Amino acid sequence: MRTLDELRADIDRVDEVLVRLLNERARVACEIGKVKKERGIELYQPDREKAVLAHVRSVASEGPLGADAIARLFERIIDEARRLERRMIDGDEDGQ
Amino acid sequence: MVVVMEERATEEQIENVVSRLVEMGMDVHRSTGVTRTVLGAVGRGHPDKGLIEMLEGVHEVVRISEPYKLASRTFKPEGTVVTVGDVRIGGDEVIVMAGPCSAETDKQVRDAAAAVRRAGAKIFRGGAFKPRSSPYSFQGLGEEGLRLLRDAANAENLKLVTEVMDVSQIELVERYGDIFQVGARNMQNFTLLRELGRARKPVLLKRGISATIEEWLLSAEYVLSGGNNDVILCERGIRTFETATRNTFDISAIPVVKKLSHLPIVADPSHGAGRRDMVAPMARAAVAAGVDGLIIEVHCDPDHALSDGAQSMFPSQFDRLMAELRIIAPAIGRSICLETVARRGWGS
Repeated sequence: MRTLDELRADIDRVDEVLVRLLNERARVACEIGKVKKERGIELYQPDREKAVLAHVRSVASEGPLGADAIARLFERIIDEARRLERRMIDGDEDGQ
Repeated sequence: MVVVMEERATEEQIENVVSRLVEMGMDVHRSTGVTRTVLGAVGRGHPDKGLIEMLEGVHEVVRISEPYKLASRTFKPEGTVVTVGDVRIGGDEVIVMAGPCSAETDKQVRDAAAAVRRAGAKIFRGGAFKPRSSPYSFQGLGEEGLRLLRDAANAENLKLVTEVMDVSQIELVERYGDIFQVGARNMQNFTLLRELGRARKPVLLKRGISATIEEWLLSAEYVLSGGNNDVILCERGIRTFETATRNTFDISAIPVVKKLSHLPIVADPSHGAGRRDMVAPMARAAVAAGVDGLIIEVHCDPDHALSDGAQSMFPSQFDRLMAELRIIAPAIGRSICLETVARRGWGS
């Protein structure tokens, strides 16, 4: 059996990949913010958010987390994306 | 703020609430639970709690931060000390303000000033404009009264706190007084509060007769937001169902305000109780509860006072009260006019 330290090193490695991917996603969200601003599209798009959640649910079936937990995690990711998009729309750099 | 949706709220209702919060400039954190959805809203926007509560599907709206900013302890953790010459309100010393309800005659005002100064008061109180419940009651002497009060205060080396009732009186009262008093009936006279925010003398803001502590602090916010940082709060009793006393003196407001706000708070046990025999116990309790000062009505001939005679103390009663307060204050790490204690100890 692997030691706790080894397992924790695994967690750290996966976290690094996750952070990289989350930032990649965030960069796309910023682009979307710019497009919304240019075209005068509303920041909050409930239908699109619903579609995003449905999509991650549909690909979540195989892991131990399950669709509900994945959806809860993605709610938080969407919250942050909305905050970033607002930053692009308002031209507000600190975003706090 | 946190918005708790109803158990059977539809997706459409939830989306509507999110959309309104986003419009109001808030960042929304949505948590979809098994039975309820909770929305957390953070940011620099100013969402209207009442408006969100009225939206369909909303069960409850909980505000996390206080609606007042400049008055809150979150904004300024250390206590504010309001300085009037060499008198500091909000420091270790409990400052006593005393005097008649209103200026009546030169002799009455001078006698009262001498009596309260001898007992250890640092600030003279007295009104020239009286907001009476009845239009047929004595309304005060106006500028003549202000002059009498100022002369009496000067003669005894006391500061002067006196009431301003209306925007039109600010200039006049500022000329004679050291601290503007805003009475309970004017606590929500926002025009007056805004103008006092532009003044450069401290404001003693009494709690309205039916005002919550939050409303009271919001009134202080009006003065502070105008740029006048010297606001002293004054608890003077609130209206309850009890009829044995004129008002119910809210002792609990003292520690509550101390926790919520950095502003100094003083207590007015004269109005708080409304009866001479109740003033001393309420004053003792207020000092024990941690007030930064007291404002007490003292009249040399209260039975013939033109206003508030029933709640004005005789000078001898006031002397005794001050002696008692000098014993109570040190128990909670405060002092109360030490130099007079010394004089009494070594003198007569």
